[in-house]
Formats: sequence, C-alpha cells, structure tokens
Amino acid sequence: MTERAAIERELLAWMQGEPERRDDARFERLALALFAFQFEANAPYGRFCAARGATPASVRSWRDIPAVPTGAFKELPLRCFPAERRVHVFRTSGTSLARRGELELDTLALYEASLVPSFESGVLPDLGAGERLPMLVLAPSPAEAPDSSLSHMFGVMLERRGAAPSGCFVREGRLELEPLLAGLADAARAEKLLLCGTAFAFVHLLEALEARGQRLSLPAGARLMETGGFKGKARALPRERLHAWLQERLGVPEARCVNQYGMTELASQFYDSVLREPRAPRRKLAPAWTRVLIVDPETGKEVREGEVGAVRIFDLANTGSVLAIATADLGRRSGDGFEVLGREEGAEARGCSIAADELLGG
Amino acid sequence: MAERSSPAEVRDALARLVAAGPALRSRPRHERVRALGRALERLRAAGSAERRRLERELPDATGFSAATVREGLARALEPFSAAALDALVERELETLGKRRVAGGFEATAVLLGGGVPTPALPALAGPLVLGSPVLARPSSHDPVTARVFAAALAAEDPALAACLELVSFPSDDAAALGELLAAPCVVAFGSDETMAAVAARLAPAQRFVRHGHRLSVAVLGEGALEGPALADAAAALALDVALWDQQGCLSPVALYVLGVARVPDALLATLDAAFADAGARWPRGRALPEAAARLAVERDTAELRAVAGADVRVAARRHFTLVAEPDAPFRGSPLGRFLRVHPAADPEALLAALAPLGPHLAAVGVAGLGAHAARLAPELAALGAARVCPLGALQAPPLDWCHDQVGVLLPLARLSDLEE
Repeated sequence: MTERAAIERELLAWMQGEPERRDDARFERLALALFAFQFEANAPYGRFCAARGATPASVRSWRDIPAVPTGAFKELPLRCFPAERRVHVFRTSGTSLARRGELELDTLALYEASLVPSFESGVLPDLGAGERLPMLVLAPSPAEAPDSSLSHMFGVMLERRGAAPSGCFVREGRLELEPLLAGLADAARAEKLLLCGTAFAFVHLLEALEARGQRLSLPAGARLMETGGFKGKARALPRERLHAWLQERLGVPEARCVNQYGMTELASQFYDSVLREPRAPRRKLAPAWTRVLIVDPETGKEVREGEVGAVRIFDLANTGSVLAIATADLGRRSGDGFEVLGREEGAEARGCSIAADELLGG
Repeated sequence: MAERSSPAEVRDALARLVAAGPALRSRPRHERVRALGRALERLRAAGSAERRRLERELPDATGFSAATVREGLARALEPFSAAALDALVERELETLGKRRVAGGFEATAVLLGGGVPTPALPALAGPLVLGSPVLARPSSHDPVTARVFAAALAAEDPALAACLELVSFPSDDAAALGELLAAPCVVAFGSDETMAAVAARLAPAQRFVRHGHRLSVAVLGEGALEGPALADAAAALALDVALWDQQGCLSPVALYVLGVARVPDALLATLDAAFADAGARWPRGRALPEAAARLAVERDTAELRAVAGADVRVAARRHFTLVAEPDAPFRGSPLGRFLRVHPAADPEALLAALAPLGPHLAAVGVAGLGAHAARLAPELAALGAARVCPLGALQAPPLDWCHDQVGVLLPLARLSDLEE
C-alpha cells in the first residue's frame, strides 16, 4: 500500500467512523505524513517548500507546513498524480478574461467522505440516520455545472438526504422562480426543509419576492444554508443584513440561517455553528481533519484571538493536491472556531486604483 | 462636519445649499474663480498652515507614510495653481462662444473616494466655479483634505465657503445616501459596483458624473533600456509607484518593456535598486489587512510559479515586489507597490496586451519610446488612456487633465445655446 493510500484509509475511517472526534495527535501525525508525501509527489509544491527551507526533515509541526496561495491553483497543476489519472476537475468561477483555478482529483471518494459529515453536522444536525427532507437548491445541478464543486456537493447531499420535492432551481444562470415557489409551497407541508444555495441567488429570490410584495412563512423546521460572496456582482450585502432579509421575507429566523465557508481548492467546508450549538455564539466550526490558522499576512505569524488576519487552512482531505492553503480572506479566531469577515456593503476601496483581478473579474 | 450626519442633517444641508445657489450664481464667475484659486494656493504653498495641516493629519488618516504624503502633496499640488485654474476656466468655459452659456446646477453632490487626497480638490472646486453649491461626503479613508480645502476657502471668501458643506455617514447608511443623491447633479468616485449602485438610485433627469476605478501602466522603449537613461527611467517609475502606495488611478501597476522577448536581468536589477531607494526615501505605509492578504497571496503565487519552472523572476522586498513575467498578457496586481514587468516584442504586442483594460486604463507613463512615440500615443488614447506622459510625472497631473477622457468643468455644467 502506498503512503497516500494508507493516509486515505485512515482518513476515511475517521470521517465515516467518528467524524466529530478531534484528535490533535492523529491530526499532527497525518499532516506530517501527508506533507512528506506531497513534498515528493507534487513537484512544484516541493520546490516551493524547499525554497523556504521547509522539508519533511525540518518541519516538525503542521503549523509550519508551507501554505500554497489560492492563486497558485490558477497558474499550474498542483496534483500528486499523473494527469492521465485525473477523474474530475473542479474550477473556480470567473469570466472569460480571468484565469480559473482548478482542483484536479484522481478520486472523489475522500472528497465526498469529507463533505457529507460536515454538511450533516452543520446543516442537518437534527436529522436522524437515514432521515430525508426536501432540499431546494439555488444553484445549478451537477449535470449543468459539472466543474462546480458547490453543485457537486449539493448533488451528493440531494442523493443522500433529499426527499420530494427536492431539486436545483438555477438553470442557465437564472433563478427559476415559479418552480421554486411551487416547490417551496409543496415542501412547506413537511416539518423540515432545507433551502440552500449561493448568497447571490438568495438575493435574487429576495428581490423577486420584494418586487411582488410577497412574504413566505416557511415551517419552524426550515433552515437556510448560503455560501459564496458577491465579488464582481452589482450588489453586495453584509451577511447579517442578508440573514435579516431572509428572516423578513422567508420567515426563517436568523438563528436558522447557516453560512458555509468553502472554496474550490479545498475538499472540506466550514459551517456556522448556529444549528449545531444554538446557544453558543455564531462561529465557523472546522471539521476534525482540518485546522485553521489566522495569520498576519505580512509576517505569516499567527495572530492573537480576536485579531484580524488572513485565513490559512490545513485540510487533510486534500490528499491529491496540497493540504495547506493560504487565502486572501480575512478572519478572526473565535473560541474553538473562527469568523470570516466579509467586505461591508459599499465599503470604499482605499484608493481610486483597482486591483486588476477585480477588473478582470477573477 | 459632524462625526456622523443623520439623514435629516444631510437633507437640511442640501436644502440650505440650494437656497444659497441664486446668490452664488449672481456673483461674477471671475470672482468665484479668483477666490478658489487663492484657496488652492494656500494648499499649494509649501510651509503654509493648510499644507502643514495636510502633512500632519493625512498620514494617520490615510495610512500613507509621512514621507510619502509630503512628497506626494508637493508633486501633486504643484500644478494646482490659481493660474492653472484660470487657464482651465479659459480652456473649457471661455471658449464656448457668445451664444453658448455654461451654468451650474442648483446643487452638486460629491461622493469622494479613496485615500488619495488631491483628486478631491478639483472635484470640490469645479461645481463652485460654475455656481453650483457643493454637498460633499469625504471618503472615510481621507476625511482631511476636503476639510482643509473648505477651511482655506473660508479664510479667503466666507460667502463662497458657505456654499460648500461636508457631511459624514457610513457607506451603508442608505437613508443618508438617499438624501445626498437628491441633488440634481451627482459626482461619484469609486468602484464600478459603487457607480452601478449610485446610478440605480438616480432619476433619469439627474446629471451623473462618474469616476470609476482605473489603473495605469508604464512603457519603457528601446531608448531607455540601458545606461543612464535606464537608471533615470527606473528612478522615475519607482517614484510613480511609491507615491500613494500604488493606490491612485495614476499609479502604474505594470511595466512593459518594448522590443524585447524577455525582460533583461540587468533591467530588473536596475529596477530593484531604484525601488529599494524609493522605499528608503518614501516608506510604504500601513496596509489594510485585506490588501496585505491579497499582496501576500500574489507574491507567494509568483514565487511558486518561479520555482515551478515558469520563466518568472521575483524580487520581493519589504517595501515592494517586482515580478518579471515571461510574456505580455496583462495580469492582476494586488497594489501596495507590486509591479509586474512584461516583455512586449513590438507595439502591436503592447496594444494587444492592454486592450482588455479598455475603459479602465487611466494613464500611460513612457520613457525612451523614440520613433514609436508618435504612433503609440494616439493608439493608447484610443484604448482609453486619458494621459500619456513621461515617467515620473504620473502623480502630478495638470489641473485640467481630462480625467476619464472628459473635461473637468464641462461634465458639471448645464450648457445652453441662446439663439437669436
């Protein structure tokens, strides 16, 4: 058995057997083993680490594993296997002018094994084993958007947990309002339902309801899950305002609105704690096989609790690419979790120049 | 200016200004221009109380280093003289002809943007030249410049200064913004998203003068690729990048080296030395966390490309990052003194690389273009560049530069033809 296969076997057992169990020693051991494997198998990453003086011999803690910037996935293939073994590619969103990041996978097994328990504990903590609920998805179906990791995730969860009238209600870039409203009316007869999708699609839904002067009153067991930002969109909303608007128009309390933080470059996702720990402060909880550091972007050093820094993620489920990812997202450590800070609505850029990736829609 | 203006206060201020408009317009234009010119001169004069106040307060408010503020103000304010204002009025308004008259709106709302201070000055003075009272909301990143200008104007002409009011409210205060946007003429600086959001709130009859985000580039021709000419060009470029930490729309974010297939190592070394020198003289200021995070990601990405075998060379220092790219296509810059250096085999390659920037291109700073200059300048203008100027002059635009390829005063004016 190869080194990677052994790591994956242990990870699968962790994810499927005891996904809630945080085990620092096991994480440390697996992270260092995976780093050693990726250092050798992922040539560009290995050279990047070596240039920083970080090798399997010198790195003693997962915290010291060099993180690859998210932008690198737009530039070169970061995989630990030959191209011909690729079975799937997830791509970041973007315009024709912008480069799109790619996560190449030679297996979806670990990817799916990671997403399921996180989704279930973050969004469906009250569902019993095998229990299903109507899932109405404000995103394209996996068939329409095969390279969207978000659509793939929804597809997996629809299959595992969806009950009639579940489905995807974005087609060819447009929200299918009438079928969605009919589906919601039907689903509202159930005790529990999930409405989930991109934050921007939710805004479209809310605007449409507002234009009609319509308010929905979804059942008490309804919950919403939204994800993604508003980059490049004409309208941006702070998360709190979006959740307040959702409460006003859909009748779902803010405490049942879950934000998911995820990205194409990662196999794992992070969910707000509100459904899982309704009495505790809202924060993002990390799956047991991930760790999150909030670092000073200039020094790379971890900042203190409550201080703002860049989000750096260590995800053991990224076995075939790179486990350590440096993002340009800002966050703040909060107890055993973290917060991701969004850009305020209409917040001014400091200057009149523009970062060209924004200009190019990347 | 109150710390935070309520929607009612914004509404009342606009009403006051509209009421003051007839008296303002009844004054001869040359009186207004003269007073505004004297106010500009107060800011322009090195050592004046107003200039010292800008130098004292702007570093804390904007995050730029004190040395950058001093140098940036010295260069940017030099062209903002009373004589330059006279010349601007002459060029744009006095040559309209006897039958065409230019007047101001009942009031003009100005949403100032960003932390680069000097663009605020023509934005505030322009409507007053035309007889339109101004209600302005300074950017939260620079609450200083508009206040200092208002104080300078009050010292010169209290009646005119009473026609300039400043309000302050958070960018997400939709009610206060709505009151501000009730003015018949609205001028706004900001991102394309901000422009779209403002436009959506205006009625068709309202005048909207928009200044969206833009960027600039630099071009080195074959006459500046070696020797003293290269050293001079590198120093000039380093100044243009250092001032305002690349936050201004006139800050170059990329350098194109014409006539080469690969950026020469010697050229990179010269740039590295010039940028290091500029960093020592004008240290980079405080980076906002979001900008610092973006910069770190871009810098690390470039370093990864370099070690992965792409022909990318990176010079990452404390105050700047230079990235030599293997080809011409334009790439992003996270700003904060991050410059990409591209080869461009010939003018066609340069123009093809800049084409995607289109209307976002503000200016092009050039050196050593030689015979290519005559051909390239109009082509760059056709792409969208409002200025083609020597390197080292990018941060000192003339008062009458055609920002966004429109005039300074005419977009703010109501023109009427009085036919017999």
